[in-house]
Amino acid sequence: MVPAQWYLMLSAAIFCIGLFGILTRRNALLFLMSVELMLNAANVNFIAFSLQWGNVTGQTFALFTMALAAAEVAIGIGIILVLYRNFRDTDVTKATTMRW
Amino acid sequence: MTDGPDAGSNLLPGLAAVGLFLVMVLAFAGASFPAPQGFGGDANVTASIGYAMFDIGNLGDVGAEGFLAAFLIVAIVLDVAIDGAVFLAKREEGGSVVTALTDGGRDLLDRSREGPNAPRSERGRDAPRREGGDE
Repeated sequence: MVPAQWYLMLSAAIFCIGLFGILTRRNALLFLMSVELMLNAANVNFIAFSLQWGNVTGQTFALFTMALAAAEVAIGIGIILVLYRNFRDTDVTKATTMRW
Repeated sequence: MTDGPDAGSNLLPGLAAVGLFLVMVLAFAGASFPAPQGFGGDANVTASIGYAMFDIGNLGDVGAEGFLAAFLIVAIVLDVAIDGAVFLAKREEGGSVVTALTDGGRDLLDRSREGPNAPRSERGRDAPRREGGDE
């Protein structure tokens, strides 16, 4: 069986790719994808430790994380839609004013 | 494009991400874990997750905690999320919603006013797209 360290390193790599995306991308859709990468890095950890301790609590919790990620994406896409409607762009740095 | 190639501005975030990755790899490489226990060859993991999700006794082959409360809370959160998404996506013109209720680009409101056998409105798929339209 694969030791837990390898799963943790995979998770760290995915998390850092997501972090790099958040720090560099300005497109709101790519921003959202980067956040999803970071969330899925956490899911890899949950499932790795589920296997490590022989308990499905981690896998069940990962399912809940996916459901929350879906909720986040639904709201995120809605926000991006409004952003594009108001600013004609999905560049997050362009949205410097908030209006109803 | 909002994400053009700009190597200079990406250098610092790239170094930060790689640095964080190296720190984490060093921490994980130095940590010691016991051998993975696994689930056993004939354990039904999927059924165990189902039992854990609905908190149904100890019927599963693999141990777990009960998640019924979390399941219900997540159900409410998803319901709120879809309501929020529709609220954000809809657009009103003249007091009526014009973009949340559509069928493949056709406005359902227009179709319902015209009746079920009416030809497609000019916003329909078979109609030419208007120049400068933002539908």
